This record gives sequence, structure tokens and C-alpha cells, in this order.
Amino acid sequence: MRAWSTIVALLVGLLLAGPLAAPTAAQGPRIEPPAGGIFGPLPGTGGAQSSDPSVPPSVPSQFETPDLIVDLSRPRVSITSAFQGESILLFGMFDPPGEIVVVVVGPPARETVLRKQRVLGLWLNTGRQAFDDVPAYYSIAASQPLQRLLARSAGGEILSLEDRMQSVRSVGQREHEDLIRFRLGLVEVKRREGLFPAAIGQVTIQANRLFRVELPFPSRLPEGIYEVRTYLLREGKIVAAVSRPLPVGKVGFSAQLAGWADNEGPLYGLGAIIMALVVGWIGGAIMRRI
Amino acid sequence: MEIYLPIAEQSMNVFVLLGLGGAAGLLAGMFGVGGGFLATPLLIFVGIPPAVAVASQANQVVANSISSLQVHWRRGNVDLRMGLVLLLGGMIGSSAGVSLFTYLKNIGQIDFVIAVLYVVMLSTIGVLMLVESARTYIRRRRNPEAPRGKLHTHYLVHRLPLKLRFYKSKLYISALLPIGIGFVIGVLSAVLGVGGGFVLVPAMIYILGMPTAVVIGTSNFQILFVAANVTFLQAATNGTVDVVLALLLILGGVVGAPIGSRLAAKLPGVVLRGLMSVLILVVAVELLTELLRTPSSLYSLGFRQVMP
Repeated sequence: MRAWSTIVALLVGLLLAGPLAAPTAAQGPRIEPPAGGIFGPLPGTGGAQSSDPSVPPSVPSQFETPDLIVDLSRPRVSITSAFQGESILLFGMFDPPGEIVVVVVGPPARETVLRKQRVLGLWLNTGRQAFDDVPAYYSIAASQPLQRLLARSAGGEILSLEDRMQSVRSVGQREHEDLIRFRLGLVEVKRREGLFPAAIGQVTIQANRLFRVELPFPSRLPEGIYEVRTYLLREGKIVAAVSRPLPVGKVGFSAQLAGWADNEGPLYGLGAIIMALVVGWIGGAIMRRI
Repeated sequence: MEIYLPIAEQSMNVFVLLGLGGAAGLLAGMFGVGGGFLATPLLIFVGIPPAVAVASQANQVVANSISSLQVHWRRGNVDLRMGLVLLLGGMIGSSAGVSLFTYLKNIGQIDFVIAVLYVVMLSTIGVLMLVESARTYIRRRRNPEAPRGKLHTHYLVHRLPLKLRFYKSKLYISALLPIGIGFVIGVLSAVLGVGGGFVLVPAMIYILGMPTAVVIGTSNFQILFVAANVTFLQAATNGTVDVVLALLLILGGVVGAPIGSRLAAKLPGVVLRGLMSVLILVVAVELLTELLRTPSSLYSLGFRQVMP
């Protein structure tokens, strides 16, 4: 099933690669490009035609405007009653040849890290440190070992997890050394939960034009709008970048229940009590008869 | 088969949860106590966040107590007056307990407090029960017709003010005592997610001196309302009641309870109590080692606040 959809998707991607089909690919919502204009010309804004008015429309302007078209096998991560984590396929086409880096960032939040210490022989949470702007999820995939790619890219736009974590702001005062330990602790916990995958994902490139990568999401996934950034690198420089939002949220029954629990706490509590009374009463009556 | 628990925010094996509920039900059926005191630590062992485990377990206790109350009510084994007095204390205690729980959760100490309270409570009860059943066993072997101990003795209970007559229990004691006991059970229920039957039943027999026949029914009556109050307050203030988790535990418990009571009918009481005390001690020791052992990671995450 997944193999089939992958093949179809790649074929569609190949067909869309022509400038004629470009507007279709641009329909997905885009996040505003960061300063510096590295988010290259969007295919939907006119592609080959508008990029260089001096070139007649009939002549394809190869290489002058880098193309990067990206799509996801699913538009969102749906947390249903059967959710156990999910792998989403990111695929696309690029031109000219180069290297691809994909960064997935979850919504930022304030995280509180607790540290245990031995008190009278018992392990007890004694230290706590809050950090602002901690991404819920952070993963990187690349078509080459990342160090090599990053060493050559001077932009500082693509951050390894370690670099990204340098920018989280600590709340309150604490000694520098200790702060570093807390920050490492934060990464360790997130890593254990699969939210900061340790390994760099492998982006597979075919025929110097097509790429694909599996993005893994664990079962304990915070909700929110995630951002999937895809970069095309050429000789260590980012020549094109595309950002796509990836909403992660509960759907169906799970979403309904969680919504009630959050917004209608007292009503939800009454519902839970009634459910327990009914099931307990009927169940007890039935089992006594058997 | 995995199922996603919407409040615990993680997926869990359905059969593990049904099995846990079943085991708690089995204990409930065998020993006439709720089984929550074993189910909550086990839920925490399998990775449910303690706050969710405690609150959802309270919801399960509601179902558990209504199904045994059904029987005891019909047989007339409920001392309604005593139940209401206990409940008065229970309601105050459980409301205070939920506030305490919320406070401990906010300062990041709830896991530790839950673990310590369980260790203290389970080891005390386990040891007391083990000693009692061993003593009974030895005494019976020496002299099979040994008289039972005195059922009714006069203590402090009879000297406190606010005396009330409890006709069904054949008692004339101060109402302050059952209110106090109800209060303690209420706090335990809110913080630990237990019904509290395993504390309440001995307290009613040994402290209040109630006749054994009405003890289980009356304790069920008070536990039902206290657990409902805890469920409501936990849902309203902390949002930690997971109904999917609770439903699975309830379904397991509904099947487990009658099996437990049938088993109990076949085994002598002393053996039964001995088995139970060993089980309680095993859980207590396991919880204690968790507290003493150097953890694999010193760090954990507290509350996550999404930034505006």
C-alpha cells in the first residue's frame, strides 16, 4: 500500500517537474520565508516566466532559477485511537543537482527539567530549571553526512540539534556549568522519548532530480503545527528552500475526549462518573448471573 | 492490540490494561477490598504518568464499588447512618486531597510522594496482615477450638463528645471518630487513587468496633461517593481522568471480580490473607527499590507550557 502510493507520488512529482504544472505544486500553504531571501522563487509565483523578464517565455530558464518542489505522503499527522507513532514520507524534485537537507521542527514551548538527587538514601526531585522556546520535536535528515554539508555552508541557517539547543533561553538565574547539565538532561529525556531522534535521517536521491525521506514520529507526540523545512544545497550554499506546515493533532474520538477534558472539565468528570456507574452496575449484574 | 489513551497521550496494549483491571478485580472479589492499591502502582510501572494513573483509577473505583454495593444493599448490609457520617469526613478529605495533589504536582514532587506513601502504607498493612495470619494459623494448629478475640472493647471512642447512635452497627459512639477516619480515607483516595477499603475495613472493625457483617457494605457506600468526588475534582481541576484507560480497567475488573469471589470460597481465610499480605509486600519492596536504586536518568520533564 505504502509502496504503491510512493511510486504514484514520485511519478506525479516527475510530471509536476515541468514549469507548466508548477502552479499546482504551489497550492500548499507556505510559511513566510526567513530574512535573507534564501527561500528561492516559489514555483507558483510564475516560475520560469517571471523570474527573468528578459528571457522569452518559450525558452526554459534552466539552472538560473533553482527549483525545489516538496510534498508529503500525508498532509497531517492524525492521532487516532489506534495511533502508535507514524512515519511520513517526504518526497520531491529539485533542479539543479545538489544535496538535500530536511529539518522538522515541532512547536516551541516552555519545558521544565527536573533533576533527582539522593536525599537520605532516597532519590528525590530537588532541582528544576525551565527553558523557553524548546521545540517539541527536532529531527534532521540529509543526503550526505551532515557535518560535511554544514561545514561548507556558511549561512548558519541549518542548525544541528546541539546548535538549536544553544538558543533555548533559560528562565531564572543559574550557574553556567549547571545550566549546561540541565540542558543536556533536557536533550537526553527528549531523545529517550523519540522526540529528538539521535540519528540523522537518510535522504535518498535518484537521478539527481528526485528525493525521498521517511520522517519518523513517536507515539508520544505533542500536538501543534510542525514545520518541515527542505533545503537544496549546492557547493555548501543554500540555493533554494521550501517550508511546509505539518499539523499534528488528535482526530475523531480521541480528539473529542481530549477536547472535553480540556474545555469542559466538570462535565467530562460527570460523564466519567456516569460511565463508571452504568458499566459497573450492568457488568456486575451480568457477571453474577453467569 | 494497541490503543491510544487520549489523556495519558500515549498508546498502550489493550490486553495489558484489561489484565491489570482483571487482576485488581480478582483481588477485589477475593478479599473484598478494591484492588486499587495494587492497580495504581502497576499502572505507574507500565509507564502511565502517575497523575493520570491516580485520577483514572479513582474513576475505576466508582464502577467497582457500585457493583459490590448492589449486592450488599439488597442484603441490607449497609449502615446508612454510619455511611453518611463517614462520607461527611470523606468528602472534606477528598476535596482537600485533590488540592494537595494539585499543589504537589505543580512543585514536581507528586511522583515521589505517591511512591513514599505507597511504600509506607503497603509495608505496614502487609506486615500486619502477615503477622496476624501467621499467628492465627499457628494458634489454630495448636488448638483448633481456640476462642476468637473479644469483638467489642471500650476505648477512647466512647469518651469523645458528639455521640451518635448507630442502630445497625449497634454502636453508641462519637461522630468525630468516623468523620476523622472518613477524612483520612478521603485524602488517601485523592492522592493515591485508591478506594481505601483496605484501610477503611480494618479501621471500622478495630477502631470503631463495627460488626463485620455491615462493614463491607458500609465501606462500599462511602467509597462510591468519595471516588466519584475525586473523579469529578480531578477532571475539573487537573484534567487527568482518562476515560478510555478507566473503561478498560473497569471491563477487566467486571470479569475478574466474580472469579475472585469464587476462588475465595474455595480457599481458607488464613491462607487467603497470607497470600494477600505477601503480594502487598512484594509491591511495597518493588516501589522501595525504585526509590533507592540509582535511576537510569537523573532528569525528567515536568509540565510543558505551550508558548502563545
